[in-house]
Amino acid sequence: MNIYKNKKPALFFLIPAFLFMIVFLYYPFFQNILNSFMKIKNLGGAAKGLNDPIYKNYLKLLTDENVLIALKNTGIMIIVTLVGQVGIAIILAMLVDNIKRGAKFFRIVYFFPIVISATALGVLFNLIFQFDGGMLSQLVGHNVNWKESFPLTVMMTPVTWQYVGFYFIILVTGLNNISDELYESASIDGATRWQRVRYISWPLLHNVVCTCSVLAVTGALKVFDLPWVMFPNGAPLGKTWLTGTYMYYKTMQSPDIDYSSAIALIIVILGVVLSKVVNKIFKERDY
Amino acid sequence: MSKKKSASVSTGVIYVVLIVWALTTIYPIAWVIMNSFKDKRKIMSDAFSVPLGKLFTTSNYSEAFEKVNMLTAYRNSIIISGCVALVVILLAGMASYALVRYRFKLNSTLYNLVIAAMMFPVFSTIIPVFRMEYNWGIAGSGSVPLALLSVILPQVAGNMAFAIVVLTGYIKSLPIELEEAAFMEGCNPYQIFFKVIMPLTKPSFATVGIFSFLWSYNDLFTQQFFLRNKEEWAITRLLLEISSKEGTNYGLMAAVVTLVVVPLLIVYVCLQKYIIKGMTAGAVKG
Amino acid sequence: MKKKVLSALLCGAMAATMIPVGAVSVMADGGVSLNVTTTFAGTESNVQLYQDTVKAWEDKTGNKVEDSSGSADETFKARVISDFETGAEPDVMFYFNGNDSNPIIESGKVMSIDEIRAEYPDYASNMSDDMIPASPVDGVKYAVPFYGYWEGLYCNKEVLEKAGVEVPTADTTWDQFLEDCQKIKDAGFTPIAASLAKEPHYWFEFCIYNQGTPADHAKLPAAIDDEIGKKWTAGMADIKDLYDKGFFSENTNSATADEVFQSFLESKSAFYVDGSWKMGGIRDGSDNIENFTVTFVPGKGERKSTDLIAGLSSGWYISKKCWEDETKREAAMDFINFFINDETVSQFAGTATTALKNGVTIDESALTSLEKDALVMLKSASGVTGAAQDLLTQDERSPIFDNMPQIVEGQTSIEDALQGVLDAVEENAE
Repeated sequence: MNIYKNKKPALFFLIPAFLFMIVFLYYPFFQNILNSFMKIKNLGGAAKGLNDPIYKNYLKLLTDENVLIALKNTGIMIIVTLVGQVGIAIILAMLVDNIKRGAKFFRIVYFFPIVISATALGVLFNLIFQFDGGMLSQLVGHNVNWKESFPLTVMMTPVTWQYVGFYFIILVTGLNNISDELYESASIDGATRWQRVRYISWPLLHNVVCTCSVLAVTGALKVFDLPWVMFPNGAPLGKTWLTGTYMYYKTMQSPDIDYSSAIALIIVILGVVLSKVVNKIFKERDY
Repeated sequence: MSKKKSASVSTGVIYVVLIVWALTTIYPIAWVIMNSFKDKRKIMSDAFSVPLGKLFTTSNYSEAFEKVNMLTAYRNSIIISGCVALVVILLAGMASYALVRYRFKLNSTLYNLVIAAMMFPVFSTIIPVFRMEYNWGIAGSGSVPLALLSVILPQVAGNMAFAIVVLTGYIKSLPIELEEAAFMEGCNPYQIFFKVIMPLTKPSFATVGIFSFLWSYNDLFTQQFFLRNKEEWAITRLLLEISSKEGTNYGLMAAVVTLVVVPLLIVYVCLQKYIIKGMTAGAVKG
Repeated sequence: MKKKVLSALLCGAMAATMIPVGAVSVMADGGVSLNVTTTFAGTESNVQLYQDTVKAWEDKTGNKVEDSSGSADETFKARVISDFETGAEPDVMFYFNGNDSNPIIESGKVMSIDEIRAEYPDYASNMSDDMIPASPVDGVKYAVPFYGYWEGLYCNKEVLEKAGVEVPTADTTWDQFLEDCQKIKDAGFTPIAASLAKEPHYWFEFCIYNQGTPADHAKLPAAIDDEIGKKWTAGMADIKDLYDKGFFSENTNSATADEVFQSFLESKSAFYVDGSWKMGGIRDGSDNIENFTVTFVPGKGERKSTDLIAGLSSGWYISKKCWEDETKREAAMDFINFFINDETVSQFAGTATTALKNGVTIDESALTSLEKDALVMLKSASGVTGAAQDLLTQDERSPIFDNMPQIVEGQTSIEDALQGVLDAVEENAE
């Protein structure tokens, strides 16, 4: 077929979206890259000349031990989000797709955690993990300092839990792009529920799962709000830095804008590279 | 017989799993709503009890409504986030369609640019955007419609990348036969997009619309920068004012969260009814 | 079709550029519209009073105030700074006068008080000039102070009584204070509610203060081993000592400030050091305000307990842009004078510090018991100094402030943390 041989319409489709992104994202971010070579203290403040040496911030990144901790924790976070968020979401989406009654109900309630602001969720989880009189401390009957004893677990559980619903909705939508008739004809052919999932849903969902994985990886690199509310300044003892929280810290809490611009650039590069890797992994598998 | 029985057992297991997860997602929202009816002094000390009898109060809500003009803020929020969602759906849909179906040299570069754009943190882009919009006269102009526009534009761009990533995933899964059939009938690519792709991927567009709306609505940072005067405030900006700076007034905060969440859930419930079984196969036959 | 989209976009952009900026500044009825930005927003206790005062001024003069105030969080500060950089600065501003104002002073877009007095000799003449803080950038005075803060030791009387400890007084020494803490701890309470993870600065301030006097407190060290550097190292050693003795909240290294404050309100902890603004928090958070009092943080060495930390951290600014516009200038001067006269300052200040020559007039009958205690404390103060941390910018202080848990745990040495601060100061000075 040669519907798409003539490339002219592609410009019509692409230009508006990219125009928006060029003006409001690429151009500002290009400035951000320039900023990473200058001396800028406060967000919105004027630059006081170039850094000396000009690549100073990038040298600093290599020796900053918080960056190392942040990268390590973010690595863990990526695995946790892939397995936890996307994994659980796939299971839930498949299950909801296989029931007749109540599917709508589950679709609505699974969305709840995403709509509540991180500040409010942070307060809730702080109360759950609170040392004195928190929900978990009450459950085990004595005060446990959860945040200091299990910092990464306490930080990652709420984040994982919050975004399962997000991937769930995306996956459910993907499943709904699959026609019922396919299932029906499969059923007539005597396929069991498992076979339907394995041979119809899963292959058709392949692209959407790939999308979710890209979103999960990039999301883990960016996430800062809920971890920041629960573990500000990398508390306890600087063990919980993530790339997202560390950049936020260097932008807002201890402003060093040129340095945070450098961190932002690293996060973007990591995001692009890792999403390439994800796409590659998914491409090789053929259904 | 036995097959039927095992089917009903497995259905039972499915429901148990689904309900357990549902409990974890319902509980927090129920907790927030419950606490919004508690005296602010009791939340830290009595965080997990139900507000009955003495504990029950509506003072948090009356305090919230007393202080501010909610209706204007709701209106502004809906204008901003509604526009963002609509523009994003349309433009991202078009771009995704072209990225998936057209093969040209720059394909993967463009896709990488989209991924990169998704990673740009809003604090690193906001200052140049503000300067630009100020020079255009839409930011800081004192006019309400322009102020709303000044938020809509960067938010459209900000949600565009995510929308393209998700929509390309969906459009890739569409069987190309449908488009070929339409082409045979004499449709050009523009008509194919509006008459075949958009209707077929309605659920995908609904999903992208939901998330664009949600993120625009909750994007306090951009709102704080661009919405200055009271008449310009959107709901999240407004509620920042009444939820405590000191952070100790959790009662008011719970009420505020409830007031923020309710319209979101309404929008979600309205839009998610479009997330229904598609008709791809039927369309092929037709 | 492509052309249509492009032209639509261009039309939109052009339409937008044609609306002149600031076109609304002079209104039809002859009144002036002033752009005002303040930190009176959110739950800051004087928001209502501020709004009423603005309204009263609008009614009196027929002018209009375009108010873009916001809670003084990090986003708000970034917004104000970028407004000045962009040329979108307000006409009148009530904002910090310490390090937070540096980018604004450096932009050269606000009027100094002397420049204003050259044309209006009576400007802020009711303030004592010695008390008007100067900008850390150039030592010039820009902002007319309004009212300020003090820091003190809040006490939970119930806990003290149960532990058999008296409320510390002006005569309580540091060693007695340590003994009291031990007694409180032995009685099963937390002596000091504090979050070293989130708000270590109050204890930092007083522990450093205790190594010197009001005269040399607000000074920065130039090296670890100079006189001030030694004070700072010794002060932080005192914090570590309090931590090692187990006097801080058990989860002080991970708790939020709210969490420990709550334990203080709920009579689980005895002491809590905070600023004057916390009186409102105690009033709102507790059923019985009589259970709380405030007193001096016990002193050590040459610092008398009655030596306070207090300051005037914000003030009123006029921007150059406004000054150069004759009609706006008159309105802005009138607006500020409406706020900084003795009467209005007294209304806003209550028990807080002011720069008024005549002092404030307060109706004591309307005060809570806690406010009365505060007033007693303030009246018996023997000396006062600003906070040492105000000499540092946020990123400069972060090696100490954001690492306090690591410091008290011994993971980071006090010397290293201090060196980090000195390095940051040096780097910023380049």
